[in-house]
This record gives sequence, C-alpha cells and structure tokens, in this order.
Amino acid sequence: MTTKPVLKLVRGAAAPSPQVRELDWSILMARAQDGDANAYRRLLESITPYLRAHASRCHRNPSDVEDAVQDILLTLHAVRATYDPARPFGPWLTAIARRRLIDRLRRQGRRRVFETEFEPAHETFADPPANFEDMTDIHKIAAALDRLPPAQREALRLTKIEGLSLKEASAASGMSVAALKVATHRAVERLRRFFSGGSES
Amino acid sequence: MTPTDDLISALAANLRPVRRLRPPLLRATGFLLLAALILAMIALVHGWRPGLLVRLAEIRFALSLAGALLTGVLAAVAAFLVSLPGRSRHWLWLPIPSLALWLFSIGYQCLSFWTPMASEGASPGETASCIATLVLTSLPLSLALALMLRHAASFNPAPVIFAASLSVAGITAAALTLFHPLDASVEILMFNLGTGLLIMLSGAAINMFLSRRAEMPE
Repeated sequence: MTTKPVLKLVRGAAAPSPQVRELDWSILMARAQDGDANAYRRLLESITPYLRAHASRCHRNPSDVEDAVQDILLTLHAVRATYDPARPFGPWLTAIARRRLIDRLRRQGRRRVFETEFEPAHETFADPPANFEDMTDIHKIAAALDRLPPAQREALRLTKIEGLSLKEASAASGMSVAALKVATHRAVERLRRFFSGGSES
Repeated sequence: MTPTDDLISALAANLRPVRRLRPPLLRATGFLLLAALILAMIALVHGWRPGLLVRLAEIRFALSLAGALLTGVLAAVAAFLVSLPGRSRHWLWLPIPSLALWLFSIGYQCLSFWTPMASEGASPGETASCIATLVLTSLPLSLALALMLRHAASFNPAPVIFAASLSVAGITAAALTLFHPLDASVEILMFNLGTGLLIMLSGAAINMFLSRRAEMPE
C-alpha cells in the first residue's frame, strides 16, 4: 500500500488499468461498508491517482481536475451502500467516475455558451503602454515638443495634453488667458510646420 | 495537504457503517410482492370486473393484460439493475418487447377517453371508483420505488426514473383492466411517463439553479 502507482498525467494518455489493485480495493471497500474508517481512508487515497488520471483526460486545468476528483469521491461516498463485494470494484468505480465527468462536461458546455473567454488580445488592448506602442512616431512627437520654446511647450501641455480649460491653465501656469491662447496657437502652428516637412525657423 | 486530501480525511472521519443493498433481483421481487399485495387487497374490497373470465378468453384482451403486467414486472427489474453503478445500461431494453406488445394491443382504441364509455354501461360512480383504483395502485407503488431507488439520485437518475415510471404505469394499467370495464392504458402510460419526465425536468432545474448559486456566491 505504500508504493504509489505510476501515473501519466499527459493529456490523451490512457488511464492506468485498475485491475492490479482491484482485489485490494474490493476488500477495502467491503471493510469500509462495515464502518472501518482506516480501510476507507486507504481506499480513497489509493484510488485518487487513478481518478485524477481519468479526470485529466477530460479537463486541462489542474484545478478543474481536482474538482472533478472531489466530485467523484463525494458521489462514491453517497452511494457506497450500492457496492456488492461479490462483484469487481473497477466497473463500479469507473461507472461513477464516468457519470460525474460527463455531467461536469455538460455543465461546462452550458456555461460556456454565456461566457466570452478572456484572451491575451483583450489584455493587450486594455493596457495603456500597448496602445502607445502602436504610434510609430511617438519619438518624433516627443522630439518636436522638446524643440518648442518653454512657454509654448507649457501652454500646449496644459491645454492640449492635460486638457485643462484656459482658466485652469492660466491659474496653474500664471500666464494670462490671452497669452495662453497665443502661445498655444503658435505652438500648434510650429508643430504643424515641423510635421509637414517645412523648416521650423 | 491539498483540498482533496482534506476531503478524504473528512469523509473517512465521518464514515458510518452502511447496510449493503440486497441483490437487485431480490429487491425487485420485494417490490413486485408489494404490488401483488395491493392488487389482491383491491380485488378483495372491490371485486373483479364483471365478466373477467369471458374477456380473458379474448386474445386481444389477454395480450393487452399480459403486456401491461409484463411491462410492469420487467421495467421494475430494469430499474433496480440500472440504478446500480457498473451494471450495463442495456438492461433498459428489457421491458421494450412487452411494452411493444402492450402498445400494439391498445393501439386500436387510441385516446378513447372515459366519457364516451359511460353510455355503454359505466356509470359516473364507476368512473370515480376507477380513479380511486388508479390512485390506490400508482401512488403507493411510486412512493415505494422512489424510496427503494433513492440511491440512484446522486448517481444516474434519468434512466432509473424512466424505468420506474414505466413499471408503475404497467402495473396500474393491469389493475385497471382487472377491476374495471374501462380501458385507459394510453392515458395511464402518458400520465406516468409524464410524471417521470416532470420529476426529471424539475430535478435538472433544481440542479442548474443550485450549481449557479454555488458558482456565484453573492
């Protein structure tokens, strides 16, 4: 009972045959039906890897696999009176496991109809840096802004980039509203000239 | 310690000894004995239908009665077998031939309801006692089957409910044929299978509701 069965948890791999330990399992289950908690624990611990292998053929996500195994164990517990020790244990266990796995897959299928999967693309587009990356000439814009005279750059930053109103920008910068208007206008003119290929001087 | 190990510890710690179910054929026999007892009691109180022996000589009548009874018996056996994990689901085919026989023999009078029969000698009182027979047979039988097959609820309820309702329908229809000069086989079959379907659907609805609640604990 101390050696654990070798398992392949690879998707699509065959579940290990339960026949080897079936007799042991059958005896343990018969004792568990009589109320032997120790035998029951040993039985459950020993069938869990087998159930896990079974479940991992239906589910990819490890937590789904674990949920399925627990689901099967709970059902086994509920119907343990139906086991007849004169009959093999394997088919009894497999029938319960298969039933639960099919139920789970059906429920999952129903749920997926109402859900949209969260793909990497969704995350990328929601992330601000990802969107700036798309603008190829962001460095050019930064360079052009650097070349503006400080007053014009400040006026442009406050009114166009930060989106403040003229009053707020005037309060923030200490320039008058009229001066801000002129500086912003000149800055935009300059940038336009810069990007249309003309000289900025 | 994974949650699965915790679960195993909890299950083992709360283990109570259970009584093994008796062999399915024995349990089916027990159920059928109960059905026979109910029929015998009705026969004792109500008496057989008038002219039963004469009608039994008619081949169509005899076939219909035998088909209904056989369907009741075989469907009960199928229900007890299918309710156990690891038994073949092909047992569900067991009552199908007798069901075919039964349906074949009642096919010719499809959906002839009780009211037109009244002119042929069945009084309103007869109809009431006929309904009493229906209730007295199908209700205790359904309850007995539900009690005896309750372990299937957490394993695989749908085919078990189907076979059980078929069994009750067969026995009830046979009882009606034996005690009353009316034939309502089609109605009984529809009623019992409809009830079975209703049980399955409400079970599925409750299951969906509960699983949704469990997944979104608000």
